[in-house]
Amino acid sequence: MKRRLPFRRWIRRVVQIAFLLAFVGLILATRPVPGETPSWWLKAYFLADPLILVMTVLAAHAVPLLALFSLVTVLLTLILGRVFCGWICPLGTVHALTGWALDKVQKPAKRRDTFSPWQKAKYYILGGALVMALVGGHWITIFDPLVLLYRTVTTSLLPAAQWGIETGANAVYQADPRIGGFKLTSVTEPAYQYLRNHVFVLPKQAFLGTGLILAFFIAIVAANAYRRRFWCRYVCPLGALLGLLAKRPLLRRKVTSESCNECGLCTTACHGASASGLGTGWKPSECFVCLNCSTTCPRDACEFTFQPVIWRKEPAVQPVGLTRRGVLWAAAGGLVGFAFLRATPQGRGSVYHPRLIRPPGSRPEPDFLARCTACGMCMKVCPTGGLQPAITEAGLEGLFTPHLVPIIGYCDYTCTACGHVCPTEAIRPLTEEEKHQIKIGLAAFDVTRCIPYVYGRNCVVCEEHCPIPEKAIYCVETEVELRDGKKRRIKLPKVDPEKCIGCGVCEYVCPLDDAPGIRVITTNETRHDRHQALLPEVEGEEELPY
Amino acid sequence: MHAKSTRREFLWQSAVATGGLLLPAQLSWAAPSETKMVITKWTGPSPQSPTEFAKIATQLTEQAVAALGGMSRFVKRGDVVWIKPNIGWDRTPELGANTNPDVVATLVRLCLDAGAKVVKVGDNPCDLPQKAYASSGIADAARKAGAQVVFLDRDRFREMDIKGERVKTIPVYPEIVESDVVINVPIAKHHVLATATLCMKNYMGVIENRRVFHQDIPTCLADITRFMRPSLCLLDCTRVMLAHGPKGGNIEDVAVRLTLAAGTDIVALDAFGAEMLGRKPSDIGSIVKGHQVGLGTMDYRSLQPKEITLS
Repeated sequence: MKRRLPFRRWIRRVVQIAFLLAFVGLILATRPVPGETPSWWLKAYFLADPLILVMTVLAAHAVPLLALFSLVTVLLTLILGRVFCGWICPLGTVHALTGWALDKVQKPAKRRDTFSPWQKAKYYILGGALVMALVGGHWITIFDPLVLLYRTVTTSLLPAAQWGIETGANAVYQADPRIGGFKLTSVTEPAYQYLRNHVFVLPKQAFLGTGLILAFFIAIVAANAYRRRFWCRYVCPLGALLGLLAKRPLLRRKVTSESCNECGLCTTACHGASASGLGTGWKPSECFVCLNCSTTCPRDACEFTFQPVIWRKEPAVQPVGLTRRGVLWAAAGGLVGFAFLRATPQGRGSVYHPRLIRPPGSRPEPDFLARCTACGMCMKVCPTGGLQPAITEAGLEGLFTPHLVPIIGYCDYTCTACGHVCPTEAIRPLTEEEKHQIKIGLAAFDVTRCIPYVYGRNCVVCEEHCPIPEKAIYCVETEVELRDGKKRRIKLPKVDPEKCIGCGVCEYVCPLDDAPGIRVITTNETRHDRHQALLPEVEGEEELPY
Repeated sequence: MHAKSTRREFLWQSAVATGGLLLPAQLSWAAPSETKMVITKWTGPSPQSPTEFAKIATQLTEQAVAALGGMSRFVKRGDVVWIKPNIGWDRTPELGANTNPDVVATLVRLCLDAGAKVVKVGDNPCDLPQKAYASSGIADAARKAGAQVVFLDRDRFREMDIKGERVKTIPVYPEIVESDVVINVPIAKHHVLATATLCMKNYMGVIENRRVFHQDIPTCLADITRFMRPSLCLLDCTRVMLAHGPKGGNIEDVAVRLTLAAGTDIVALDAFGAEMLGRKPSDIGSIVKGHQVGLGTMDYRSLQPKEITLS
């Protein structure tokens, strides 16, 4: 008597798609709304991610309170195994979808997905990362699957889609084609305007390093052609962490040996390659609980059973076979790797990158790196699009972490969104008043570029846009001599280092769009006590005493 | 990327529109259509609440337009009207950095009453458009009054031949210049470089790449004003910003004047606005330039502005 099991497979698929859509929905919902603080549930996925929790606790010795949500995931895994990987993880779903599509073009029937010892690699990666975190390195989180997918969608896929929509809508608008009495713009314009006002963060949004981020994503997706769910089986550090938790789950696969004729069909559709040989030797650490094995078995010999007895022996499970030697090597690798990450002048804290302008509320650099996952939520919510992934500015350890690039966008004076979305409080949530007290950098005129200084003409667009009510940029009337010897009075702009908060709007609006006449550098940023080059002014002092 | 505009087409449309406006004005024998300038002023007790302020701003606007001969002098049935307030900055109305929202909303209502087909309200803000539109209160007020609030699209500006003295071509927003009527309704405030920002300077919001204007504001403003062919302008002096303009941010820099000027002579209105800011019109380059090149007269008193006091 064959049960109608394919139904089960569809339940899983529906759940997977639902979680993937919810993930993308939360990304789209992460946008700045004037007068509103972004809600905490926008970061729900990250809060449920135990890898981020563990690494942040180890590296920063801090428990992001909301991240305790991830204990739910832990509990779920202890009971049911890696259902997170098989049913919830949106990147896992992307891989599953890719595999499903590849099945249409490749020949899946001949495939046997049985356990490969290389699947142990991810545990060693995790082991190295744990040791690295113990000494303060948070690096592995930039390869967390949720982080990876969030970053890719935010900085690469969405901007590309937006480019297509904007270009298309504008082309239709300009050409204004008609079909009889029907104007195409009567459809495209409302649709485009809806997207512009409710979905896009800002027009023409784009990110630095978008190609690099996309290339990595394409690589891991393409790896599915070599082995289905390659990333999940061999690399994923979150998968490894959940795998460790799923060594002895309560929900277990049971094979009735009388019915099983060792045909091996159960391994053809296995997502995790969690068994060796002809379907025997099930390793729960590798199983995504996709249930394909029990769905496929023509003899109903394979079934998941649920007996709420902890540490029971039956049905027997197999370990993945990590070796002590391997773990030690991994630990050593993590330690040495971290030594190299920090063995840079910037990593040692002896120099500061002038253009590594962190968002307001960012912690001092080592603490920041011990928390930042480089997920890109702050970049997604930034209303000016000025927050960009760092490629080289923060070193390898700070790859894809956020920094402000004022020529692309500035830090809006009344906005505090980035700190409120940050899942790990690498950027602290600030009130508007707190934010106004924080300097993220200091503006400096390049007097070899600035129009009034170089060409003797008025400009002061920077002064006009300076958001500080008392103005951090002020003007001094000066007489300049022109080519013909005539004199002209112009306004020369200057920066008051006391008032400047480094928001970068001056650099953004400078008419010189290639190499602006004013630039923001990180000097005097509040977050670094030792990066204070300029003494505070003393009230009423006009001449410097010697 | 800007497609080259069909200037000829645009000029033709403008000519028709202007003709359409002028013809009935010529034919009618009602005296108010001759009125070139009106100043309305509230002399009653100073408002104690935002609601009272809004009521006064509304009355000042209604009376000013009525004294000019009513909105039907400018807006015909079926017209597409663009109201161009100053929505430059992410600042609340009290800070006097943007046009008063109730002045704008009243204009919207008057235009619709005069039979306008659609009234659009929009500007090209310096700050983030979404924020400036919201915090200025203009988006809400205009929408409530029945206007279509439009965000300008950077890709839709078109390089237009404005044939100015200094500015030859510049990206202008076609939807604005293609409207039948453009009503210019700025706020009077201080400006660090131009000394004051008034009606002429408000046209900087219909173009892109205006940053270059700062190198010679008077001439550039005269160029764009000539191109825009102002008809009805209203200068909002209900609040004026006296220092740290144009963005401001200090309530101490703002003075409540509860005054509004309206008219068809843009230079005269600017001259009046200069005085409201405590400056001489001759101190402000764009007013002098506008006078010299014949865009209007800086001696606004010669127009015998009708003064209306409300209380």
